Amino acid sequence: MPDVRILTYSLIGLGFGIYLFVSGFRWFREKRLIENMPTSKIRSIAMGMVEIFGEAFPQKGKALKSPFSNNDCVYYRYTIEEYRSSGKSSKWVIVKKGESRTYFYLKDETGSVLIDPKGAKIDIPKDFEFNSSLGKDPPDKIKSFLKSNGVGFEGLFGMNKTMRYIEHFIAPRDKVYIMGTAGDNPFVEEGSSQRNEMDIMMQKGKDFYYISDKPEKDVLKLYGWWVIGGLFGGSALIVGCLFVIFAYIGIL
Amino acid sequence: MGIGLTMVIWSAIILFLLIVFGYFIGIYNSFIRLKNDIVKSWANIDVLLKQRADELPKLIASVKGYMKHERGLLEGITHARTAFLNAKTMDAKAKADNIISRTLKTLFAVAENYPNLKANENFIQLQGRISGLENEIADRREFYNDSVNTYNIKTESFPDRFIAGLMRLTKKEMFKVAESEKQDVKVEF
Repeated sequence: MPDVRILTYSLIGLGFGIYLFVSGFRWFREKRLIENMPTSKIRSIAMGMVEIFGEAFPQKGKALKSPFSNNDCVYYRYTIEEYRSSGKSSKWVIVKKGESRTYFYLKDETGSVLIDPKGAKIDIPKDFEFNSSLGKDPPDKIKSFLKSNGVGFEGLFGMNKTMRYIEHFIAPRDKVYIMGTAGDNPFVEEGSSQRNEMDIMMQKGKDFYYISDKPEKDVLKLYGWWVIGGLFGGSALIVGCLFVIFAYIGIL
Repeated sequence: MGIGLTMVIWSAIILFLLIVFGYFIGIYNSFIRLKNDIVKSWANIDVLLKQRADELPKLIASVKGYMKHERGLLEGITHARTAFLNAKTMDAKAKADNIISRTLKTLFAVAENYPNLKANENFIQLQGRISGLENEIADRREFYNDSVNTYNIKTESFPDRFIAGLMRLTKKEMFKVAESEKQDVKVEF
């Protein structure tokens, strides 16, 4: 009897292949959307789906602090992972993850608009990573963050677990590309402001909401790879896994 | 050949056909979206043109007491506004918009000759509001033209042109700005 794990992995691979294939079409649709949508100037932004590009600024000039590296930022996302072993296999397991929910501004040469990052697909590179392990303590800033969030970095007999702390952030003045829905600004009474863009807030709408620190050209290039990977990689995975599954059950 | 291998080959063919079919559906849908975006971006310009037209009677009321010797200019704005309000087509509205923009530019330049008018609070506010609207109209016009340009390029490029042909899509006209509007207004002091 062949190893049953082969069947398990093939079934998982088949599921992942189908997911990739379906995602490939979604990415294709999003790529076309980005391609076809001209960039709006912020002062003349209209309600609905828009694309804007500019510099990020904190609200009221007060920047957030990123949780691990303590850098000034307008948005951050973090992940704490622990390396766990079970039998022969070992893997990184997410212990805690989170992100900031603070609004920020995006400014171009014509004006600035409020951004609510909630619900956005935020595509930014890793800015900080630290690994703690036996004999290697995390820095004090991380220790105090772990303590306030109830996450321990020590295991049996007070020995350090193998853990890693990853942080992504958007710093003030970073160039940011946003595609999303321009809706009413809930903090301003409608029509009360002198400038059009003050009545508006970028937010999650019915369509997709995407934030990146790359210019549009690079975003499209990235999407191009996702589409190819999703459609062709997904197809190859489906066909390959079906091949293995049929071979396993002996009907090839 | 076993049934399994046949199924694997068929699934590869089906996936390939799905990609091809999905690709063309994607092109079709993006044309639908582009067409609607163009309509929407024109509507977004129209809203601002209407807002500006609504401000014009207030502007004329605030300046006519000072600019008694500029009757022709003020009548020009009134006529252009009437032409805009009566315009039914995009082309007619665009023409009226060009005339309004040009005459407003002249009006604000001529206002420099009237120090009392320049100091009038109401005029300053209206000038600020109308200039702001002019800037927004220019931005949205640019946005509209970008949308039309993307649409026109897609209708002519491969392989989108096949779908555009099936949908009987034709090139669209851009929102042209009159050459005279691009030039600075000369004012004699």
